[in-house]
Amino acid sequence: MTDIASLIQDTRVYSSLYTDPEIFACEMAEIYARNWVYVGHASEVPERGDYVRRTIGMEPVIVTRTTDGINVLANRCTHRGNLLCQAERGKRRAFACQYHGWVFNPSGELVDTPFPAGGTADHSSLHLRRATVEQYRGFIFATFAEHPIPLLDHLGFARQALDRASDLSPAGEVYIGRTWIKHLFQSNWKMLSENEADGYHVNFVHDSFAKAIKRQAKYDNVLSGDEQQVAAVVRSLGNGHAELDYAVTYDRPLSWLGVKSNRYPDYTDAMTKAYGAERAIEIMRAGPPHTFIFPNLFLAETCLVMIEPVNVGQTVNWHAPLLLKGAPDSINQRILRQGEVAMGPSSFLTADDSIIAERQWRALLGSPAWLDLSRGLQRERPRNDGVIESHYTDETPNRGFWHHYKSVMTSAPAMAVA
Amino acid sequence: MTDTPISETEFRALQEFVFTEAKYADESRYDEWEALLTDDMQYRVPAGDGTDLSPFAPSIINDNRSRLATRLRQLRTGTRLSQAPPSVMRRLIANLTATRAGAIEYEMQGNFVVYEYQTQSTNQLQVWPGQATWRIRVTADGLRLCAKTVLLVHRSGPLPSLSFLI
Repeated sequence: MTDIASLIQDTRVYSSLYTDPEIFACEMAEIYARNWVYVGHASEVPERGDYVRRTIGMEPVIVTRTTDGINVLANRCTHRGNLLCQAERGKRRAFACQYHGWVFNPSGELVDTPFPAGGTADHSSLHLRRATVEQYRGFIFATFAEHPIPLLDHLGFARQALDRASDLSPAGEVYIGRTWIKHLFQSNWKMLSENEADGYHVNFVHDSFAKAIKRQAKYDNVLSGDEQQVAAVVRSLGNGHAELDYAVTYDRPLSWLGVKSNRYPDYTDAMTKAYGAERAIEIMRAGPPHTFIFPNLFLAETCLVMIEPVNVGQTVNWHAPLLLKGAPDSINQRILRQGEVAMGPSSFLTADDSIIAERQWRALLGSPAWLDLSRGLQRERPRNDGVIESHYTDETPNRGFWHHYKSVMTSAPAMAVA
Repeated sequence: MTDTPISETEFRALQEFVFTEAKYADESRYDEWEALLTDDMQYRVPAGDGTDLSPFAPSIINDNRSRLATRLRQLRTGTRLSQAPPSVMRRLIANLTATRAGAIEYEMQGNFVVYEYQTQSTNQLQVWPGQATWRIRVTADGLRLCAKTVLLVHRSGPLPSLSFLI
């Protein structure tokens, strides 16, 4: 028996947490099946009957809009286990299984079975498994936990990141289009989760980018190569959520987009009308969040990222641009273009992150060891509200991630793995 | 002029150009590859299933000339980890057709498959099949590439890092 608690200490974790298939199975059961997981954005299913296919951990689900709101249903016929929806998205008034024709309504109730004379099954016990769903500003979270805590309790301080992303829109809402880019990492999912809020690697993994762009305002501060110069910070937000905050490095509106403040006057006007001049200027200066929300959502500045664990050694990083509702096309075009720089198989940044994650995984697979996460322990600044802030390069987010991971993974009775 | 059928000689020259471009890409010869481009080169690798007509649909690659220059500068640094060392590659190109596109341009289209030996982390053979369209312009310096669009067969699915020239 492996005791997971013994693998996680305050400033180090043991490598089998990334490589052991049984721990992975445990994570699917304890983290993904029993806690809030991000499954989509309301703008992806705008009309009744619209659905998208997603996963909660490895479990395929259908996210669909009904007259009562958003439902999240297991994408598995309760008869013989066929996927009810194969297409990634579509519009359905009911979900009919193509194997034997069983039909489920959008609430997951079994409403019809063909050739009823031979049927003996009790329909009421054959509903599709249905998750509890809550939304915050259009971001949809779901869980199969029987008695989940309220979503806002789970989000805690990370809720402010969803606000920060949404407030960049004059309508107070972001939206997600139809196309996702899916980037395959041959590594464990936690290597992505941890890397999203890791400031330490930026000067090394992204050195080639710094040289190629000869630096520009947006990245000047963190790519300066001088520890004392770096003003951006990391924060551990609690519940495993963490962020890098660049706001302090932006001295004027829209510098995070690499443009002059007066580049999009229509956007500035719309923002001023929506929020008043002072607040609009501050929203546009502080820019978007760079925040990881445990366990699978990453607000990657101009992109939204979903982490999909495939197996212990494979993960898919999904991304789509975080478009601003009610904003002029010109600024959304810029947001799209900025995201293409950062995210995806051919991007200037994550193409290289994936290589490091893959090398890490290979190293740990054959060479098990403790991994050190002690950086910055002596200089982090706990706030009164429980958030811990530290230098951009400190491992405060990793410590927060593992602290929460440990509490989730060891809170259930069936914790230890063989 | 634009109605004139493509002659054997023209087709051979276009094919030769496409094969040269492929060879430089296979061998990561960035300077020679870049010398084939016009100043208004567009390099696109779309994502998704082709049904998204939104102007905000993200692409795998959507480079104008300036962004493509940045891409090549990054590859030349030697620390672009996803191409350091460069992948070992060979590509096959087939089913080529050529049409005229205005007075001084041609459009070549064909199928391709790139065999990539990924040497940066997984040490696996990756296979990249698809359809490519080359827009080729007649210039005073000879034929030059002004647009390349690459439709990968698996562009709507998960893709590993793709930072070589496809």
